[in-house]
Amino acid sequence: MFPALIKKELLSLSRDVHGMAALFLMPMVFIIVMSMALKDVYSPSTKVLAYAVANQDSGKLANVLIDRWAKDAGVAQSLPDNWRDELVAGRLQYVLTIDPDFSAQASDMNSKGEAKARLLAEPGMGQAMFEMQRMRLLSIVTQLRAEVLLAQLDLGINVAALAKQTPVAAERVSAGGARPTAVQQNVPAWLVFGMFFVVASIAGLFVEERACGALARLRSLGAQPWQLVVSKIVPYVMINGIQAALMLAVGVWLMPVIGGEGMLLVGMNWAALLVMLLAISLAAVSLALTVACLVSTHAQAATLGPILNVLMAALGGVMVPTFVMPPVMQKIAAFSPMNWGLEGLLDVLLRGGGVAAVLPEAGKLTGFALLMLMVGFALFRRRV
Amino acid sequence: MLSIRHLGHRYPAAEVPALDDVSFDAVRGEVLGLLGPNGAGKTTLIAHLAGLLPIQRGEIIIDAQSLAAARAQQPTRIAIAPQEYAFYPSLSVTENLTCFAGVGGLGGSEREARIAECLTFAQIERYATMRADRLSGGLKRRLNLAIAMLHHPELLLFDEPTVGVDPQSRAFILEAVRKLADAGCAVIYTSHYMEEVEAIANRVVFLDEGKVVKQGGLAELLAEAEAAGAQARPSHGNLEQLFMALTDHSLRG
Ligand SMILES: Nc1ncnc2c1ncn2[C@@H]1O[C@H](COP(=O)(O)OP(=O)(O)O)[C@@H](O)[C@H]1O
Ligand SMILES: [Mg+2]
Repeated sequence: MFPALIKKELLSLSRDVHGMAALFLMPMVFIIVMSMALKDVYSPSTKVLAYAVANQDSGKLANVLIDRWAKDAGVAQSLPDNWRDELVAGRLQYVLTIDPDFSAQASDMNSKGEAKARLLAEPGMGQAMFEMQRMRLLSIVTQLRAEVLLAQLDLGINVAALAKQTPVAAERVSAGGARPTAVQQNVPAWLVFGMFFVVASIAGLFVEERACGALARLRSLGAQPWQLVVSKIVPYVMINGIQAALMLAVGVWLMPVIGGEGMLLVGMNWAALLVMLLAISLAAVSLALTVACLVSTHAQAATLGPILNVLMAALGGVMVPTFVMPPVMQKIAAFSPMNWGLEGLLDVLLRGGGVAAVLPEAGKLTGFALLMLMVGFALFRRRV
Repeated sequence: MLSIRHLGHRYPAAEVPALDDVSFDAVRGEVLGLLGPNGAGKTTLIAHLAGLLPIQRGEIIIDAQSLAAARAQQPTRIAIAPQEYAFYPSLSVTENLTCFAGVGGLGGSEREARIAECLTFAQIERYATMRADRLSGGLKRRLNLAIAMLHHPELLLFDEPTVGVDPQSRAFILEAVRKLADAGCAVIYTSHYMEEVEAIANRVVFLDEGKVVKQGGLAELLAEAEAAGAQARPSHGNLEQLFMALTDHSLRG
């Protein structure tokens, strides 16, 4: 009985072009587009900013400053005469200007520091990027001054050696070694979203099956309600598995080819990934069965499914990461099954979590699945 | 083989029962015509026999067993050709037959053989690989029939099997139903077309508002109608007149 039912389900689904596109193509496109679009949010690159230097100082310190700046910022463009216009128009993203007498004043312990190194940024530069450049300039100048002034004091310190020591280190900690890049964030997000799109497919096919009397026929042939439910869960868990493999493949292999960053799976706990995927899949399929039993027409299923998905995704941090949401929204997000799925996947893919780390999320998803199955089953028996 | 005793059914939230104290028998080798206007309760009755509705009142006996016991033993003894096109529109004719054969427990070469037989019987071999939703109305009805026959049922339930069908397919289906009865099946055939029932039924049950208003052999009923009918019309009119007199309303939705 099960092979026949499962084969029927897979055949029907494979002939539903829109359903297939929603399940496989859409999440793939989202991953690619969103990863490319958000690339710089996660790993802003200062090298790509176009800048020029307007050095009005002839001192040595100014040149050292410019050299050190270029180490991180890349080579400066030559300074055009109308650089202020270029800056306002955004063709230059910033200009580093150095006031006359900067070197002399910076080396003078008694100076008031009126001659400055200035960062003039284009109007469109984002706040985070602007702050980052400002802090970098501040740190380079502060260090330069410290070196010069210490050397003057003649305390017998090896200033050059001291300058090489930077007692500060910063990194994002993740056991698996993966950094939170756009791809690393977007693959799990859109994978969860895509997996929940089985809701529309299952519900649509199920309603059609019920309306045309095929379900009644299966029942009269002796198929029990639980068998019909299981025969729907199995193929769609398989579909979810294929989706997951496909999305991870896009992240790992396709993204680097098309110019994005590749996804890293090194050190990932595969068992934890499987647990999470299975839990998400069960939640999605059970929700689908309940939706299918709630609606009475194919059109309702085709509308309600995607609306539910988009709502859960928006609330659950798929579209906008929860950490940028205001506290109230973050509290609401904690009720979205997609959020549980996403957080669990991030535990595995980003934070190097093992099975134990994902158990809370997997547990919540499984609980949700059981609740939905119970509701769905009760409705199912009444409606078949 | 089939005996229905005092069957009653009321849908949740419905004011009047859909079936009210319905009793009749069906025997092997005969077509029982179940006649009634829309809403009479024909589909509800068929759904009971197919095991799709729980029995609220009365009983259904199959060869001295309760329906539930008979179904638990061998559900495929009773087959239904539902009022709707009860198959998967995106699957081909053969894929549909394979699915329902598998669900009913047929496998391997036996399944292939049965599918071939049913395709031949319904004369749809030429359309075996066609998607079911591309079939014409008549062909869809024939596929519905073919699926119902897959498991050699002893009791075949046809719920208005000629709705939306061209005259050729209708004649074909009526003939096929008659053949199945002649081969030993018990057939229950619901319709609101009198002439169909006149053409193939051995016995007739008139259902109206959930009640059996008349039942008997076709010949007796025709004779009774003849006797009662003042202006007997030729051929098909007789049973219809009787029916109108019994139900006492000419137009229903
Ligand atoms: N699922 C249902 N829920 C409530 N009432 C129903 C349902 N199905 C049928 N009915 C009602 O039961 C009565 C008999 O319907 P039905 O058996 O479909 O009649 P027929 O097949 O003779 O047209 C009608 O009054 C109909 O409105
Ligand atoms: Mg009906």
